[in-house]
Order: sequence, then C-alpha cells, then structure tokens
Amino acid sequence: MIKAGQIDKGSALLIKGQPFLVVEREFVNPGKGSAFVRLKLKSPSTGQTLQETIKSQDTVEDITIEDRDFQYLYNDGTNFSFMNTETYEQIEVPMKGYPDYELLMKEGETYRVTMWEDDVLDIQLPGKYVYVVAETEDAARGDTVQGVTKDAILETGLKIRVPGFIKQGEKVRVNTETKEYLERVNS
Amino acid sequence: MIDFELQRKRSELYRNIRAFFESRGYLEVFTPCLSEYLIPEPTIKTFKTEFISEFSGRKELFLLPSPEYYMKRMISEGSGNIYQIARAYRNAEEKSNIHSVEFDILEYYTMDYSDSDTLYLTIEMIKDSRVSDRKWLRAEPVIMTMREALLKYCKVDLNEAQDISALRKEADRLGLSIYENESWEDTFNRIFLTFVEPNLPKERMVFITEYPRQIECLAKNYSDRPYKMRWEMYINSVEIANTYKEETDPEAMGKYFEKEQMSLEKERRESKDEISKADPEFPSLKMRECSGGAIGLDRLLMAEMGLESISPLLSFPISDILN
Repeated sequence: MIKAGQIDKGSALLIKGQPFLVVEREFVNPGKGSAFVRLKLKSPSTGQTLQETIKSQDTVEDITIEDRDFQYLYNDGTNFSFMNTETYEQIEVPMKGYPDYELLMKEGETYRVTMWEDDVLDIQLPGKYVYVVAETEDAARGDTVQGVTKDAILETGLKIRVPGFIKQGEKVRVNTETKEYLERVNS
Repeated sequence: MIDFELQRKRSELYRNIRAFFESRGYLEVFTPCLSEYLIPEPTIKTFKTEFISEFSGRKELFLLPSPEYYMKRMISEGSGNIYQIARAYRNAEEKSNIHSVEFDILEYYTMDYSDSDTLYLTIEMIKDSRVSDRKWLRAEPVIMTMREALLKYCKVDLNEAQDISALRKEADRLGLSIYENESWEDTFNRIFLTFVEPNLPKERMVFITEYPRQIECLAKNYSDRPYKMRWEMYINSVEIANTYKEETDPEAMGKYFEKEQMSLEKERRESKDEISKADPEFPSLKMRECSGGAIGLDRLLMAEMGLESISPLLSFPISDILN
C-alpha cells in the first residue's frame, strides 16, 4: 500500500482490481477541506483514461512493475503483436491505448515494455526517434530557403512536415510526442 | 533570480487595491500575525512558535492562517468597513505551482452586505485595480450555484444527495473509489475536484455560490435550502477568492467552535501535531451583520500576469528551502 500523498507520475496502482499507470498527479487543497491528490490514470489493457481524486492521507494499493524488451512484429488493425526477445513468447496488446503507435513503431525493432506480472502496462517509445523519409517531393528551385516546409511520409507511414531541403531516403529525427520534425540525421 | 518587473506589478496591484477601498471609505487595518488562539479549522495545519521570557516563562503562539480572527474582533468593537493586506501562514501545503506556506491575503468586510453584494464589489475591485489587460478581466463573469455546477459537469443533483449513502452512490456511478468511512464533505470534495473544478470555464471569473451546508464554516445558512451563503471565485480553474455572509448568531458560532475544535483535536492527535486552542470568548463576540471576502493575492497576480505558477512572483520562494 502507498499513501496517496506519495503517489508520483509513473506510479502503478491497482484501482478496483485493475492496474493503472499514473499519467498526471497534482496536489489540490480546497479552501475548506482536506488535502487531496488529483490523478489522471491510464488503463493499459483498455487504453481508457480514468480520473480519480484521493485524500492525501488515504492509502492505495500499488503494484510492482518491471521493464522487459519486446520485438514489435506487426499489427492487425486491432492488436499489436510483440515477441519477448529472451523467451520468444508472443503477446498481443490492444492498439486502442496507444494512438498512432502503429505510425511510430518500426516492425522488427525492439522496444521496452512496462509489465505487471503478465499484463502490459506501457510501451515505451524514445522521445526522439530516427526515421527514413520514404516519400517526399523534391523542393522546387528556390524553395530551399529557411522556413519553407513540405509534406513527407516516413518509413512507418507517419506523415509530417519537413524543411524543403530534406530528400527522399534521408534520415530525420522526430519528436514522437508532438510528431514534429527535429533535425536531419547524417548517416 | 528575482523578476523585478513582477515585483513592480505586485506593488502596483496593492497600491490600486488600497486606492479602491480608500475611495469607498474602508479603514485599512493592521492586525498581528501571532496569536494565542485560532479559529478551529481541522484541515488547515498551522505553524506553532513560542514566546520566551526570562521572567514569565514560555508561551505557545501560532502564526495565523488568515487575519479573520483579529478582524472579526475589530468588527465586534465597531470598526465599520475594514480591509487588510496580510501575510498568512499555512503549514503542510504540498509542493505545487499554486501553494506557498506563506502568502498574501486580502481580507475585506463590509457591514450590512450580503455575500452577493460582496460578489459585485469583488468584480469591481478586481477590474478597477487590475495591472494587466488579460482577456478574463474583460470577459463577462460566470455566476452559478454549486448545485448547478454539479448538475452541469457530472449530473449530480445535490438536492437529492444530501445524505452520505446517496452521495456515495453518485461517486460510485462516476467511477471514483469508495471509502466506507469517508465523510460527506470529503466525498463531495472528491467529486468537485475531479469533475467540476478542472472543467470550469476558462479565461473569465467564475463564481460558484451556495456551498453545501455540510462543509462547516462561519457562513450563514439559507433557511429554505441546504446551502450556505458562501461563494468561491475561480480563474482558469484556480481558486482565487472565498466569501461569506458572516454568521452572527452566538449559538451557531458556539456550535461551530465546539464541533470543529473537537474534530481538530482528533485530527491533530492522529497526525501527532500540536493542538491549537480556540478562543472561548469568540462565539459571544458582538458580530455585526456583514459579509467578508478573502482573496489570495499571489494567485490573483499570477492570473493577471498569465502565469501558471506563483513562484516567479515570490522574491525568495520558501519552497527553495523546503524542497
């Protein structure tokens, strides 16, 4: 058990028998009233978010989680398939909880997965990630000046805006949270 | 690093507030920060200190969490309309962007005013003393009762949830965890903090009136509905002001003191904190009919500057020492 006041972002809790990850945590003190902790939680199994407010003094059941390496194989539109790189055991994770991950993960690559016993709680993506530009038009002459951007489709199918000077086949670093171009990567 | 531009803004805001009240004939008062007694508030933790004398021994004193105690004693002695910009101290406030264990509070009492009169006075005062041109200062304020707010944001009808089992049912329907021994007040606060407060209209002053009677305080009760003559004002979901039509009935004040002091003592024993004393004379003060407002000035200035934290406003944030 953990005191609500000690819960932090990233903590894993068991609420009504279901595992949840804490996405946001905030201390709130109503003008007249006890101190509370306001939480935004994410259920890894359904992808649903839950809001919960708990008195700082109350306790909640916390769970022990661990990170394991999994290779991303493919998705069938509903589930992601992963393979444990040590045991070769395959697991399926509902895509619903991970919006756009199918456009951010590369098939065959290994990712860290947060697990509670046999349940997947989170798929960890690097904050900045390198992709090959699969498709983009060559910039028209004169359009290579700074500030001019164009559409590009990355190897995973993700569509982003890139500067005019980026060519097809080049590598770019992308912020996976905002899905924004960061820089060109020279290989 | 101290932001002197923000220091100047604070100084300007306080000057404007003083000018506003001066022009209306309010007396600016100055009351002590130290006190032997406190108005019992179990949920507010206080700072205890000690007077030391070589001759008369030691005496336990508390830093006041608001100037209410002394200002009400002034009113009972016939002060008329008064206001004060005071330093207030509240212990155990968690690390957050909008809390500091010491902060500035504006407290103002108007004789023969209702809480609703104070509401319009507050809008005028904030607009007149503004130091910025934020959108929320120009936007039409929103005024709604607590019952309307809960109906709107989570479809809970407070009229129908007056007892704990009915309220608990609503909390359960909304997906909140249920604690068997939880008080009505705590369950209500969890519903309000989860579903109402974060969703209040942004970029305007939002007044929530008619607070539930179950939340004990020194505001008068309505005689025809289970609510108190109390409102709070929010800007961008941050609580800025709290106002009552002040209780004047010695019997009601006495009951409040007795009940709240008892639960304070129980709470302090459990948390092993100092037990503060309540002034036995306070309930029999000759309180005049009046309405009192309190505004957290750090938060008001934060909202005027469009900041999301009060710390840039503080010259030397106490949190630097505490964390």
